[in-house]
Amino acid sequence: MQYKDYYQVMGLSRDANQDEIKRAYRKLARKYHPDVSKETDAEAKFKELGEAYEVLKDPEKRAAYHQLGANWQTGQDFKPPPNWNEGFEFKGGGFTGSDAADFSDFFEQLFGRTGFHSAHTERHFGEHLRGQDSHAKIHIDLEDSYHGATRTISLSAPEMNAQGQLQVKHRSLNVKIPKGVKPGQHIKLAGQGNPALGSGQAGDLFLEIAFNNHPLYRVSETDVYLDLPITPWEAALGAKIKIPTPEGKVDLKIPPNSRQGGKLRLAGRGLPGKVPGDFYVELQIALPPANTEQAKAVYQNMQQTLDFNPRQTMGG
Amino acid sequence: MNPKDLPLVHTGTIIEDDPLTLAELCRACGVHADWVISLVEEGIIEPDGKEIHLWHFSGESLVRVRSALRLQRDLGINLAGIGLALDLVEELEKLRTQLNQTENFRKHKA
Repeated sequence: MQYKDYYQVMGLSRDANQDEIKRAYRKLARKYHPDVSKETDAEAKFKELGEAYEVLKDPEKRAAYHQLGANWQTGQDFKPPPNWNEGFEFKGGGFTGSDAADFSDFFEQLFGRTGFHSAHTERHFGEHLRGQDSHAKIHIDLEDSYHGATRTISLSAPEMNAQGQLQVKHRSLNVKIPKGVKPGQHIKLAGQGNPALGSGQAGDLFLEIAFNNHPLYRVSETDVYLDLPITPWEAALGAKIKIPTPEGKVDLKIPPNSRQGGKLRLAGRGLPGKVPGDFYVELQIALPPANTEQAKAVYQNMQQTLDFNPRQTMGG
Repeated sequence: MNPKDLPLVHTGTIIEDDPLTLAELCRACGVHADWVISLVEEGIIEPDGKEIHLWHFSGESLVRVRSALRLQRDLGINLAGIGLALDLVEELEKLRTQLNQTENFRKHKA
């Protein structure tokens, strides 16, 4: 088991007063709250913070923590000294902040799992027979939405075992990804949530759909976009070229005098559905480098032949 | 694990095609109807349907209710603050997506 320096987590010195602890918590909670923060591993940091605050805000727990001494380093292998917490009584006032199920082994060794009253275990009248609904996010590829797919997802959820202890239980589930599903939509799997206490019905599982970043395409609502590099002569003279789409290669006609950034629409080739989205090709004109005498000659020829000033509207 | 090793494939429903009633939303988020109603009154979530018994909620509402719950529980924000935070985060999210796409495109080009 590894020692945790709760003061370091909260950026405080060991003699911080309770007001300073509260202020530091508020400030860091806003910074790392997973619903507002996009810091990398915000969730892990927020949990760590919740655990640190749980100890430091409670004078009893804090005093007990101090008993361990000040010479420990974060991550150092740690065993609590025998009877270290003699004379302390942890009343376990409800966990307000993060979910106690996620507290570290270090915390559990010191303070046990008492006072387990997180929001997770609150239940309403009439609901105590039915298992709770649970939630997860699933990342799929764009192609999965085009063709439909089966994906295996791993879920972990805290669960009470027969001894009344909380354990994290892992399970896998095969889920059908319906064709045409869009980012931000939810798949509801009836009866796949948390099991019931007693003989009631299990809860439902809600899966939020997110798309993995795609190297070629980007998705907006039901439309799919492709940035397509083309040559200046394809843009100027028009061309018929093969382009990739999530459904395979298709022929695309570039009209003559196409402009940089111009958009071409392939109707109905976006995400499938009752009203399918469209596929948009955004033209990106790529200039060949003038790195040989011949190439330079072509550019010089253009310079002499074409009367072209792209800065006309700038008064240049 | 290879999906073929698990015999059972679960088929769900897309809740955008079959939106949630008030009761279903409350159950999904583990909250009281009163609280969801106050979120609607604050304009934090917007159901389809005029009267309460006709209300239907999208997956977006589900995400917002759960965020609102965590923000209230963890940061002690009131409803007006929750609404503001969620709107700002949504805007930030949009801008980040745009920025990402622009950056990706530049990398692509380089």
